[in-house]
Amino acid sequence: MEKEGFWGLQWQSTGAKLPPELNSGPAVSDQLPQCFLHLNWKQPMAHDADFESALSSLVSSPCSNPPASADGSGIGELIGRLGGICNSNDISPSSRYRSADASCYGTPLNSPPKLNLSVMDHRHQGRGGPPMPVNRVPGPHLGPLSAEPGFEDGAARLSCFAGRSSGSFAGQFGFLEPGNLSEASRSESPKAGFGSCVGVGQSRSERPAHLETEMRSKIGGSSTAEESELGNGPVESSLSHRMTAEASSLRGIADNKSGKWKTAAKRKGREAPLSSSATNPPANMTEEENSDAKRCKSADRNGGAKNAAVKPKTEQNGDPGHREGMDNDHKPPEPPKDYIHVRARRGQATDAHSLAERVRREKISKRMKFLQDLVPGCNKVTGKAVMLDEIINYVQSLQRQVEFLSMKLTTLNPQMDVSMENFLPKDMYQSRGLMPQPVYPAEIGTVLSYAHQPQTIALQSVMTSGLEEQFSLNSLQSSLRQSQSMQHATTDAYTDAPSQLGGLWEDDLQSVAQTGFGQNHGQTHTSHMKIEL
Amino acid sequence: MAAEMGLARSSRHWSRALRRRLLLLRRGTASDGCGCQNEALTSSKEGGDLGVGANEEEAVEVEARVRALQRLVPGGEELGTERLFEETADYIEALQVQVSAMRTLACLLDELREKRG
Repeated sequence: MEKEGFWGLQWQSTGAKLPPELNSGPAVSDQLPQCFLHLNWKQPMAHDADFESALSSLVSSPCSNPPASADGSGIGELIGRLGGICNSNDISPSSRYRSADASCYGTPLNSPPKLNLSVMDHRHQGRGGPPMPVNRVPGPHLGPLSAEPGFEDGAARLSCFAGRSSGSFAGQFGFLEPGNLSEASRSESPKAGFGSCVGVGQSRSERPAHLETEMRSKIGGSSTAEESELGNGPVESSLSHRMTAEASSLRGIADNKSGKWKTAAKRKGREAPLSSSATNPPANMTEEENSDAKRCKSADRNGGAKNAAVKPKTEQNGDPGHREGMDNDHKPPEPPKDYIHVRARRGQATDAHSLAERVRREKISKRMKFLQDLVPGCNKVTGKAVMLDEIINYVQSLQRQVEFLSMKLTTLNPQMDVSMENFLPKDMYQSRGLMPQPVYPAEIGTVLSYAHQPQTIALQSVMTSGLEEQFSLNSLQSSLRQSQSMQHATTDAYTDAPSQLGGLWEDDLQSVAQTGFGQNHGQTHTSHMKIEL
Repeated sequence: MAAEMGLARSSRHWSRALRRRLLLLRRGTASDGCGCQNEALTSSKEGGDLGVGANEEEAVEVEARVRALQRLVPGGEELGTERLFEETADYIEALQVQVSAMRTLACLLDELREKRG
């Protein structure tokens, strides 16, 4: 159908390589996550049965095949894929994941089932941004876990997306294999773990150090701000368990360096398990420096923000060269909880205001990226202004389409049994701008039909149809024929600037509603309309 | 309008704003008119924060577009930039679904008409 072509959206349905691997653990319904995974999975997965291989390939793939844009989008790819992995495993053993979920899905917790339904629709229609459907699926499971007040209001998708993008890869990983992670947490955390960035999921002993470092450097760039948005109450303990020694030592170093902690306004902290045991401080330092070097090379956004785990906002960046605190081997005492810990980037100001601003900017740019995915043909566009232009144009075009289609459906599908008072717009012309436009066609059709005096009976039916427009997905109505002139008139009216009609029509329509289409009023309206048109 | 009613069903902020608007339309409340008065003051505050290193002109441009988007998205005037983007994304999705559903319906009805002759 043309609708698919119109937006140019396509499902990247690769083969079935991915789901079997990811679903190897818990039994998961293939269908739902499969599509999402495919959508996000641009590179074929290695045929490894176990999850770690999947993760490794996930980690290495962005390195090998970075998207055209900057690292941020690579991160976005990672995010999408991780979200896919997350969801693939998440659906059935949700109960197990509850403790680990909170960080990942702060908001979708409150997303209603309707969202899931629409997600299903999207899936079927081959539409939708990468992270959205993924986020919505586990929504019901995660409902009670949301702790972030700011996101409870239905910003499910984006906050989920944001949450995932933030170092809550940790949360995701823990999410994916809660059993393993808990074991790992209990056991001695392996050396050279993922450290600060991910911490949680990376405590698996099998994970090669280099991959972890790589991952960390990639993920490090992910917005630290996102972490702040995740409700992490229940996650903290598990995170603290899962943190590797390196992460804790790193953080400890940074903390010691700063000497004090600044608490952000929002209080969520994903807790860095600074208290976890340290195994290899020297090795940690090495990893740290490696990641640090990698970080330096990366773009500014992804530069030094290597703090997936909780990191207090500090003033530690007074000395960028020593940000990681090379000379500290021991960990600091248990960091305070309930803080949003953001590590300032290398060479950036570290006061609370600029940090908060940076967090905000990163959030906003993440959402812009998401919108970019949603709006077709925006991938090449760079720059906020142009991007916003595209978004605005797209929204306007969608609204116009809805308007046009509603008119078309009106002509195809008039209604006889309408209660006029319900549908007549009495005060529809507000100074809001474009939004009332979709309302116009119905009114236009109504009034124009009313204007054609000779056809009183037909007018009434047409009017009801114009007004009624019982457009619901489930209802199909019988159709009446509208006069050709009627259709032409509506077309003409459609092309008029609605705002021009606004002021005049309000009173007319009100009187129409009140009188029930008396002839006198009709003539009056006709005259008005003739002037207008 | 019926299409709008279809859109107004979700529990998102823009959807609630749309419902409010439709209810006002239905009831013909005369007091409406000023619905968009609460221009988001936060947006003005956020104007300078939008761009990383954006110079003055760019920031002004971006801000203008954000305001335009606010007018487009129902209930957008009250939202800050961040929330506005979230609502925009959801709104775009809903519009896409709406358009596709309506298109399907229109095609179906066309076919029915043709069959009926």
